Amino acid sequence: MPRLTARERRDRYQREYAFQKRHGKSFFPHAVFHDTIVSLIVVGIIMGMSILWWAQFEPVPLEPGVERAGGILGPAYEGRADPGVEAYDPKPEWYFFFLFELLRIFKTPELLIVGSVIIPTVWMVLLIGWPFIDRNPDRRLSRRPVALAVGVCVPIVLLTLTFYGSKAPGAGGAASQAPGAAAFAGGACSTCHAFADAGSAGNVGPSLTDNAVDYDLAYDLIANGKGGMPAFSGTYSEDEMKCLAGYVATHSGAPAGEKGPEAATAAEVYPAACETAGGLFAGGGAAATGD
Amino acid sequence: MSTLLPPPSEIARMPADWVEERSGLLSIGKYMLFRNVPKDISWLQTLGSALMTVFILQATTGVLLAMYYQPDPNTAWNTIAFITNDATLGWLVRGMHKWGSSIMVVLLFLHMGRTFLFGAYKYPREMTWITGAIIFILVMAMSFTGYLLVFDERAYWATVVGVNINGTAPILGPALSYILMVGPEISTHTLSRFYALHMLALPGAIGGLIALHLWLVIRLGVTSPPWSRMKVTEGDV
Ligand code: HEM
Repeated sequence: MPRLTARERRDRYQREYAFQKRHGKSFFPHAVFHDTIVSLIVVGIIMGMSILWWAQFEPVPLEPGVERAGGILGPAYEGRADPGVEAYDPKPEWYFFFLFELLRIFKTPELLIVGSVIIPTVWMVLLIGWPFIDRNPDRRLSRRPVALAVGVCVPIVLLTLTFYGSKAPGAGGAASQAPGAAAFAGGACSTCHAFADAGSAGNVGPSLTDNAVDYDLAYDLIANGKGGMPAFSGTYSEDEMKCLAGYVATHSGAPAGEKGPEAATAAEVYPAACETAGGLFAGGGAAATGD
Repeated sequence: MSTLLPPPSEIARMPADWVEERSGLLSIGKYMLFRNVPKDISWLQTLGSALMTVFILQATTGVLLAMYYQPDPNTAWNTIAFITNDATLGWLVRGMHKWGSSIMVVLLFLHMGRTFLFGAYKYPREMTWITGAIIFILVMAMSFTGYLLVFDERAYWATVVGVNINGTAPILGPALSYILMVGPEISTHTLSRFYALHMLALPGAIGGLIALHLWLVIRLGVTSPPWSRMKVTEGDV
């Protein structure tokens, strides 16, 4: 085929399309017929899901805080929001799971904005600008190797992220509002330790939800490390370590939002040390509920 | 002297003729319905109209929900409970709005996949893709703002996390979080702000963009599949 200029290629497409249209069929009733069938199926699916959801959720009492059972499509709604209850495992709608998983991957404070801002922005720019990126005029997939690769990889990446995001017990950002929680969740700790209050699900080291740790032991482990756990005295300042140890002593061995059996051992330093340490350690941030 | 009435068939046509003479709307409608599309369009090309259907469904159920819902932290959850438990068929209206949003996102991905597969974003349909891509982003924003409105624990904390994620962006992030929440925490104002975005600003923008999108589809015509055998042969002008 002779090389065509861009102008010639566009004219050629217009000629070809005009030909296809001339030899085409009327939108009504042909396309409308197919459109109607598919629309009816889609509305049927939505109604079916609504009925299944409704048939399976338990009668819903109005008192806040009562557990609401649901079927495979979940409960009618959960307990009324109570900003005073500090920790809750927030799950977004399923179609945001891929974003949540990205945040779990880039959860150290320095990398956080890669997952939260940079990658989503790049995705949006690529999505909107795609017609200008793919300049290949051919429409057959066999002649579009790059587009084919993109078209295969993007769904695989999105589905994988969505799958792992759906299994995450709590997102990296699901930490309670307690001082130190955000630092625990956003820092190295959560990579290894499960800790309900910090919304962390690491499984390398012992779970802090299940094991109560007193202040002195926590401080010692953070500063000097032990076994597989690295020493953080070079990473964190004195106050930062005090804050983390205090936070761990106060909330370990307890469900999210509650104090554990060793809370008293931290009373002297916590949460004062977190205030002194400032930043992420002071907790709350934009979501501070002012308690 | 008796006035002769025109024959019944003519009387029946009078309102239509009246509208047509003054607006030309009928010929536009006729043009849209009886324009040609390529002979070999496929079932995959019905996804766009299915999206249109779901959008109309969301708008309708949304208006019905708005008749009972109150965007106030003290009453929002209770009005949702009322709609679900007590209002006649309220569970169905709320259910269809809730599940319709999920289905809409699925259809968006499928429709995008279809146009990608067909190379339908290429000349001359680049703008159709761009308007679609912006619609997609706005629909995600719809979902984010709608999620808070139930005001149950899950909605509340997911929104706190979502807004905090926003806040990690350099420079603009914290300001944007503050603007979204109307202050440092979720309050009455946050809920009204999300409600205004969810039921006025965003659907208005999406509706306008859908109109533009469909105008482009009608003006440019839908592509025939890339495997189409309908090619211009020499001699056919
Ligand atoms: C609510 C959202 C949307 C609605 C109601 C909608 C509606 C439609 C309709 C009715 C068509 C023609 C029939 C068909 O191809 O299915 C169409 C075509 C098209 N849409 Fe969408 N669409 C939406 C979102 C999107 C998105 C997110 C994209 C891509 C990012 C997109 C890109 C396109 C393109 C490129 C075409 C031209 C296809 C062709 O000519 O073969 N649309 N849309």
